[in-house]
Amino acid sequence: MAVAWIGNRETLVERAAAHAAALLGSSRCPVFSLDTDIHGTRAAIALAERVGAAYDHADGAALSRETALFTDKGAMTVAPGETRRRADVVVIVGELPQIYHEFVGELAETVPDLSAKNQREFFLVGPNGASAPPLSNGRTGTLLSCGEASLGSTLAALRAQYRGRQTSQPVSNFDDFAKALAAARFPVFLFSGDATEGLALEMLQGLIADLNRTSRASGLHLPASENGWGSALASTWMTGFPLRTGFARGFPDFDPWRYDVARMIAAGEADLHLRISSSIVPPQKKRNRMALIALAKTQKPVAGAAVTIAIGEAGVDHEAVVYSSRTGSLRSVDARAASELPSAATIIRLVASHISAEVALPC
Amino acid sequence: MLTKIAGGDIIDPVNGRLGKGDLWIRDDMLVGAPAGASADRTIDAAGCIVMAGAIDIHSHIGGGNVNTARLLLPEQHAAHQARPAATPLSNAGWSTFQTGCLYAKMGFTTVVEPAMSPGAALHTHLELADIPIIDKATLAILGNDDFLLSMIRDDASSQMIEDYVAWTVASTRALGVKVINAGAAAAFKENVRTFSLDDVVPSYGVSSRKIVKTLQAAVDSLGVPHPLHVHCNNLGSPGSADTAASTMAAAEGLPLHLAHLQFYGYGTEGKRKFSSAAARLAELVNTTPEVTIDIGQVMFGQTVTISSDVMRQFSARGSASPKKSVIHDGDGNGGGIVPYNYGKDFYGTMQWAIGLELFLLIDDPWRVFFTTDHPNGAPFTTYPALFELLMSREARTEMTAGLSKSAMALSTLAAIDREYTFEEIAIMTRAAPAKLLGLTDRGHLGAGAIADIAIYRRCGNIAKMLGQAAYVFKDGDLVVQDGEITHYRWGKALRLNPSPDKAMVRRLEDYHQQRYGLSLDWFNFPDSAIAREQPFGEVACRT
Ligand SMILES: [Zn+2]
Repeated sequence: MAVAWIGNRETLVERAAAHAAALLGSSRCPVFSLDTDIHGTRAAIALAERVGAAYDHADGAALSRETALFTDKGAMTVAPGETRRRADVVVIVGELPQIYHEFVGELAETVPDLSAKNQREFFLVGPNGASAPPLSNGRTGTLLSCGEASLGSTLAALRAQYRGRQTSQPVSNFDDFAKALAAARFPVFLFSGDATEGLALEMLQGLIADLNRTSRASGLHLPASENGWGSALASTWMTGFPLRTGFARGFPDFDPWRYDVARMIAAGEADLHLRISSSIVPPQKKRNRMALIALAKTQKPVAGAAVTIAIGEAGVDHEAVVYSSRTGSLRSVDARAASELPSAATIIRLVASHISAEVALPC
Repeated sequence: MLTKIAGGDIIDPVNGRLGKGDLWIRDDMLVGAPAGASADRTIDAAGCIVMAGAIDIHSHIGGGNVNTARLLLPEQHAAHQARPAATPLSNAGWSTFQTGCLYAKMGFTTVVEPAMSPGAALHTHLELADIPIIDKATLAILGNDDFLLSMIRDDASSQMIEDYVAWTVASTRALGVKVINAGAAAAFKENVRTFSLDDVVPSYGVSSRKIVKTLQAAVDSLGVPHPLHVHCNNLGSPGSADTAASTMAAAEGLPLHLAHLQFYGYGTEGKRKFSSAAARLAELVNTTPEVTIDIGQVMFGQTVTISSDVMRQFSARGSASPKKSVIHDGDGNGGGIVPYNYGKDFYGTMQWAIGLELFLLIDDPWRVFFTTDHPNGAPFTTYPALFELLMSREARTEMTAGLSKSAMALSTLAAIDREYTFEEIAIMTRAAPAKLLGLTDRGHLGAGAIADIAIYRRCGNIAKMLGQAAYVFKDGDLVVQDGEITHYRWGKALRLNPSPDKAMVRRLEDYHQQRYGLSLDWFNFPDSAIAREQPFGEVACRT
């Protein structure tokens, strides 16, 4: 089975890695986009430091909204386990990524065992016609909306009404919500940066802070991408900063606008793109003239890539450490179907070993 | 390889060696002077103080809450220095890599992260594994978790409690156990906003005192070398000296360690109802031999408070500077991150003076430990300045000149003459921590100890001398020369490994399935998950 290509030509992994290293070594402005496990991220950041690259998540926009909530404002959050065991009111804020529908279903099928109430009510914040993930037994969440208004405006109206202020357009079903909150011991708001603009995330935190003046409430962060959030955590301990950090100046420099890798590519600033996908992402078609190095689970060269190296899928082909939004922390996963395919970390270290005679990568 | 450290002033209180002499290292161990052998390498230590590598028993260097603090405050650790080729990422402000380098430069070779949430053990150990050079260890947090509180409520046998504590320590790879504002985080989830030693957690009917006593007994009975590490109730409140006094009294003859006592050294005198109770607490420590404490010294300037005392952090949100914070309700304790700037005003001066009073009024350097509760009282990078304050009355007087006079009037600090000697420093930062943690292989310079050695060139400036070691050896590897790191090596996380009781594991499996809908596999991890060679080093329990 072929596992490495230079252009469309099959080659040895060692040669493909050396070629990738040469491209990185001569690049003026390399950029990395990551969709990988913790050890893949660690190796990629160590490599980025060595070659002066900027790095971002493959879906950098959603992750950036989530990290901005923390870097700019702070938050009140709760662990997923506590949510299951304590939340007597669950408020789904906007549309949650598909991967969380199962967890929402689980919340609907269970009752909070650490709450005196032993039942859960569901609400959904969103525009008219918004739909929550399916709950069990045909239950539905009560919709809190301001017609077609944005999520941010709806949350602002909700917050204002909760404080007893007039709003230009009242939130639908507000009385039901107010009644539920009055009886609630621990309401939890489920949020993600996926389809939620940054201002809405801040407004939600404002509402949670207001609630906490008199009773408890918190927010459960369900990251738009689990790999993305895992990478953000590893990047933060390794460099002090989340993704959208660059090493062009020889030290880690965090700038969510400047190091937005999609922007750097679109603006023609980047001249080399290293794309790492440890999950199965359909190989994208290259849309520009910049050189591409693709690390992906693939049996053929990625169209247009200067170098393609096949890597395994984390937790399938090899054991891995990943972020789990089900535990709210990092988790070790076994290989479900162990294969010979190497991990992203292994290939990145191999590439780095060809770059110079310097010390080995620190991760 | 045989190394000779020649002609240094050796300060090794454990082995009674004080004065000029040589040390011999074979590979990674200290050995006696080998007859007739010649050294492969000789380090000239003339004019230098030679001590064992220092050990920090309480410094928040890694884990979920520390990382959240980094994320919250990118503006506070912007990097500027150019890329170092030999020590990648050591220029990254507040990174794990920088943490290891800064500690090693000061001659510290072992550091304990004192607040590991059991559910985030893997995350914590991954961060620690990216801290180069030094060895690390963790304390696992218990005492606000439903499983333990339910067992206490249901009068579970002490054997069952011990089985649970042993399982937690073993599965999280911890070196000991910490309890943080026992019961308060659980009570806070039920909207309780203040909590004292004899307050009761709603729904469980269990008092904070009962939780502390239960864990203290379990830790002792399991032979965990480090006594239960207690973060008391009412941290930071005026009058919290009463809480600390009651907690010390509750030790009742069994070992107990009270963390960052400075934060409880507060009385209610004066027109601001905030005064020093340090003399009273120091006297209690002096007369309660089963109690050890660390200080949690405050030094002036910007820092961030990182604590699993979620109730306290919630109530401190208003003092956040800059104005942002994170409050997290976790499975057990959770935690809070509140940035804070210690000013030289009345309150800042009071806290600074109280810490120093405790250091200087507690007589026995074997029972008082050198910490700033990094970064809560100050970042650990202030250690050299703090050593100077302890070792020089003149330095204290000079510092006092710019501080609040009304605060100094409520403190006894100005009247204290004591100056720590190097021998006392060696006890407080080497010998005593090793003893307290059960680490017989370090903290001294006797044959058979690992070769963790810090060599400081004498000069008139104590802070400079202790801030930049002339040489540091870690496991016999020379990692610092003239205050600079020469290369990385990877230390271990020191851990206990009691064998878990099978019935308890089954019980916990059922509990996790029922309550969380998850098997224990979601929380367990193999050593290979850390992706370093030999990530852990095992320490024995007392038998
Ligand atoms: Zn602490």
